[in-house]
Amino acid sequence: MTGLLVLSLILVPWLGALVVWRVGDSRPKWQHGLAVGFSVLAGILSVLLIPLASSDAAFSLPMGNLFGDLTFIADGLAVALAAIACVVGSLAVLFAVDYMKGEHQLGRFYSFVLLFIGAMTGLVLSSNLLFLFFFWEITALCSYALISFYNDDPKAVAGGIKALIITQLGGVGLLAGALTVFGTLGTYQIPDLLARSSEITPNLLAVMGFGFLLAAAAKSAQFPFHTWLPDAMEAPTPISALIHAATMVNAGVYLLARFYPVFEHVPGWTFAVMLVGMISALITAVMALTAMDLKRALAYSTVSQLGYMVYAIGAGGIFASQFHLLSHAVFKALLFLAAGSVIHSAGTRDMRKMGGLGKQMPFVRNVFILGALALAGLPIMNGFWSKELILEEGLKHTPLWAYVGMLLGAGLTAFYTLRMSWMVFFGEPREALHAHDAGRAMKISLGILAVGSLTTWLFAGGFSALLEHTLPFHEFHVLTLGALAEEIFLAPATYIALGVVALGLAVSWMVRKQATAPVPAALEALSRQSFGLDWLNQQVVKAVFQSAAVVQKTQTGEMNWNVVGIIGALVVVLGILLWSAS
Amino acid sequence: MNLITLIVIVVACLLGVGLYGLLITRNLIKIVIVLQLLVKAVVLAFVAAGKVSGHPGIGESVAATVIVADTVVAAVALALAVQVRMRLGTLDIPKISSLRG
Amino acid sequence: MNVSMFALLIGIPLVSSPVVYLFGRLTSRAEVLNRQGWIVRALALLAVTATWWPFVNLWLEFQAGGKRLFTNVESIWIQLDGLTFLLAAMVLTLGTLAILFSGRYMAGEIGEEKYYAMLLAMIGLMIGLGCANDLFNLWVWFEAMAVSSYLLVAFYREQPGSLEAGMKYVVQSAVGSVLALLGVALVLAQTGTLDMDQIQLMVGTMKLNHLGLLAAGALFFIGFGVKVAMVPLHTWLPDAHSQAPSGISAMLSGVVIEAGLVAMLRALSTLTGFALSWGWLLLGFGALNMLYGNLLALQQVQVKRMLAFSSLSHIGYILMGLGIALVSGQAAGAQGASFHLFTHMLMKGLAFLAVGAAMYALFHEQGIHRPLVAHDLNGISTRYPWVALSLSIALLALGGLPPLAGFMSKWQIFVAGFQSGNGWLMGFVVFAALNSVLSLAYYAPLVNRMYRCVSATSVKKGSAAISWTLQLPLLLLALAVVVLGLFPSLMNWLTEPAGAALMSIFK
Repeated sequence: MTGLLVLSLILVPWLGALVVWRVGDSRPKWQHGLAVGFSVLAGILSVLLIPLASSDAAFSLPMGNLFGDLTFIADGLAVALAAIACVVGSLAVLFAVDYMKGEHQLGRFYSFVLLFIGAMTGLVLSSNLLFLFFFWEITALCSYALISFYNDDPKAVAGGIKALIITQLGGVGLLAGALTVFGTLGTYQIPDLLARSSEITPNLLAVMGFGFLLAAAAKSAQFPFHTWLPDAMEAPTPISALIHAATMVNAGVYLLARFYPVFEHVPGWTFAVMLVGMISALITAVMALTAMDLKRALAYSTVSQLGYMVYAIGAGGIFASQFHLLSHAVFKALLFLAAGSVIHSAGTRDMRKMGGLGKQMPFVRNVFILGALALAGLPIMNGFWSKELILEEGLKHTPLWAYVGMLLGAGLTAFYTLRMSWMVFFGEPREALHAHDAGRAMKISLGILAVGSLTTWLFAGGFSALLEHTLPFHEFHVLTLGALAEEIFLAPATYIALGVVALGLAVSWMVRKQATAPVPAALEALSRQSFGLDWLNQQVVKAVFQSAAVVQKTQTGEMNWNVVGIIGALVVVLGILLWSAS
Repeated sequence: MNLITLIVIVVACLLGVGLYGLLITRNLIKIVIVLQLLVKAVVLAFVAAGKVSGHPGIGESVAATVIVADTVVAAVALALAVQVRMRLGTLDIPKISSLRG
Repeated sequence: MNVSMFALLIGIPLVSSPVVYLFGRLTSRAEVLNRQGWIVRALALLAVTATWWPFVNLWLEFQAGGKRLFTNVESIWIQLDGLTFLLAAMVLTLGTLAILFSGRYMAGEIGEEKYYAMLLAMIGLMIGLGCANDLFNLWVWFEAMAVSSYLLVAFYREQPGSLEAGMKYVVQSAVGSVLALLGVALVLAQTGTLDMDQIQLMVGTMKLNHLGLLAAGALFFIGFGVKVAMVPLHTWLPDAHSQAPSGISAMLSGVVIEAGLVAMLRALSTLTGFALSWGWLLLGFGALNMLYGNLLALQQVQVKRMLAFSSLSHIGYILMGLGIALVSGQAAGAQGASFHLFTHMLMKGLAFLAVGAAMYALFHEQGIHRPLVAHDLNGISTRYPWVALSLSIALLALGGLPPLAGFMSKWQIFVAGFQSGNGWLMGFVVFAALNSVLSLAYYAPLVNRMYRCVSATSVKKGSAAISWTLQLPLLLLALAVVVLGLFPSLMNWLTEPAGAALMSIFK
């Protein structure tokens, strides 16, 4: 039963992709309907899977010696992430019915979305490292295809390729790690790795650990790979919400959480994870503050929140990180989709042109504010509970300066969140934009997500129990809702954090009318350059193309030079052979 | 100096001339001729190799086959050169080299 | 071994080659049959399809016995091992599809009958090459195969580019085969035999003149290496692959350079036991090929030329797999390389045929003859969805993205590197993986182009529909690329014996 459910979570969306593609672009109504049907079905199935979670293999299929068994395990971590992928996925598809109305090539759009949903559930459910990598890469492929969906726009094409190349570059780390596991233990099974990691020499373990960190940082757009996510905002907004906020970017966090027991004793690993998370959270919070493009601001905020999750893992708070992942997936999807309705109706992404839109689209304004409250971490939104939990873990297990840094980040978050909401919905209209409120399909999915932002923290107890019962190699303590409330409301750290958040809001309120970025000019310039990392990216690209141009000169196309190549190679090979023989 | 040494010297000279020729010749017909020099060197080498190893029969039969095979290659190469001359009006290598990079 | 089956395996294509030619000439002379070009095409397709029958029979015999098959014709010994079957399977698969594809693609070209005659001859000769068990015999097959491919590369005689490419190919290939032949002479002088098994025994046991054998080794490596297109011997390849008719580009890239590789490995296998394993040289050239091929492919605007450079980088992966196998002494690398040989044949065959189909629709039917540049593919999916889809599948598979075959075969090579536990080999694997990432920088933009909504003018002017004989081979290959990506062990029956054969010849 579990096996069947697990398989259908992957195959139902994939079948849907095939069907929607074959229906053809001449029947857009069918395509919308079928895409919603298949994704909602997957969403329902994924919720049904939650109570069936266990640490045993749900399904196993031998693939031959070199590829291991294709095994799926539906444990707590996996079912939670699969449910997020499928439920948020179906809401994003529902939203797209309105958002993508009248677009060309809908078949390509929905097929890749459905392919993505299936691959994402495969990624989290797979307990074979090769197939984890396999699904990992398919998600990258889908992300690339959807970022570049508007192929006629060179920015979209460039953004897609940038995302593809950077995540693939990180993928090399995961590949090296997975291959090391197979090379030393002779198995791809994750439970075997968790049980037998002591058989791997410390050096190889370190290589693996940092390889996985590299992969996770690239996938979750963490420092120094965070540059691709803002450029990925060229994608249609439902994609930004689904792939670049709620699901795929979480894969890196998932990876770190999944393998935490293996690497926690690798010297320097937890510290590196913590540091990556902290730097990402801080610098992108500043970048969100200076961004003028609504979607880019949300993208920076996504990197920043992912930074919190990564930081939590560095602090050993696996539950805190996964709990925040859940909250973030819901409230950030909400924010993105709400922003999508704004962009859809206003026809621009530039916040400087917006202002006062709240009157024209009250529903969107209301749900956006709910999401913003959750992002800022105000009680009793879901973001409040999970962020406080992370900060507490940080206070207990990381150096004080790191904790202070994250507190500062919380203040910055509140600052940019209020600024963003104000610039879009309040104040005087800066340009006469004719906006209208969201359509019906949009409202349904926004409404569900808004309710989610208010309530998902209620699942804390069940979620922690699920993790504790089904992940034998991790250490978890069941945290009931009462205990959670007690822990958070009795800890002085909470009040410090709330104070910082209030401070951030207050500062933001004071500068709300300022049209320019509310930071010193030097910092603003630095943050627009991604703190030098965009420059670094460009230099790498330039260096590759320059060396290619140099190498190109060797292909002279003249027969005599071609023969020189042959004779030269002969001399070299002969020389090497003679040298090795002597 | 025995016969084998002599043959080896001749082979080495032919190879040297052939390879050098390939590097400096700019005319397609001459390239084909230079290639022939190389092949003839190898044919001689086979005769010598058969003799040295004590199986002259193998060396000679191989040499005969090589001559046949090589004639086919030379014919194809010359046919192409003729076509080049007809279509492009020149046999000069730099002038016909447009595919590069 | 069933000798008559073997005779059929090589004989059907070789005998049908002159038959097709003569038939073509005769029907083109006769007024009544003047327009009956389909007879030639049908004959060629029939011949290549019929060749599957002896192949299957011999395969069954091979599998039942579990060892390599041996037979002799007079003093010439023939062997059929896993490597032979791998090469034959590749040649026949792509050969069948290329002939099917060419039916429409080459229809009405001047000298159509020559095209099929040469193609059939090349197919037969490549299968023969895989069976040689004698150094000189190997060389003869190799040379004959080369000759048959010269005329195919220079098939468009009226185009300067095609002639130039053909001329370069002839000269460089001839230099290579002279060098290889000199190597054979040196081996003969040292050992007094040309039989590969005997040479290997003698090299292993006798005190032989080391210098001569080293030189012979280097000559084999470089001489056969010209056909394998190892950098810097590769200079003919981009020209030849981009100028040949598309069916031939597919054959050249998918099987001819691989046949050269088989010849090189067979020749090198006789000379093992040097201080330096051949594996390290293969690894070095493999790494060079990957980097060079990728960098140059980045710079190309012509699609076929870009695919040609991508062949260089894929040869690099194959060489690396072989190198890993030889250095570590484990069959996994050889099996991975064999699998990649097979998947590369599918992917690159698909890519070239798909580009060919696009060229046919956009140019040939309009009587235009010019290279297809990347810009011409803009928005091609709007009019030719299947061509766009199959080319995209081919490109993404070449880039190593799952769930496509290229990912699994690369993975198999990478696994072999890490299984060896050798830090250097792991380093090579990481280098190769980084190269895969680099290669996406030229595959991905091309895929994007095809799905643009705004079409290039060439696409707008293209013909209304593409005939099913052009599309069927594409769909079959694309299907194979996807299925092998999902179920990679489906090819184990072929790659496992091939890997084992490689390990046993390099014992």
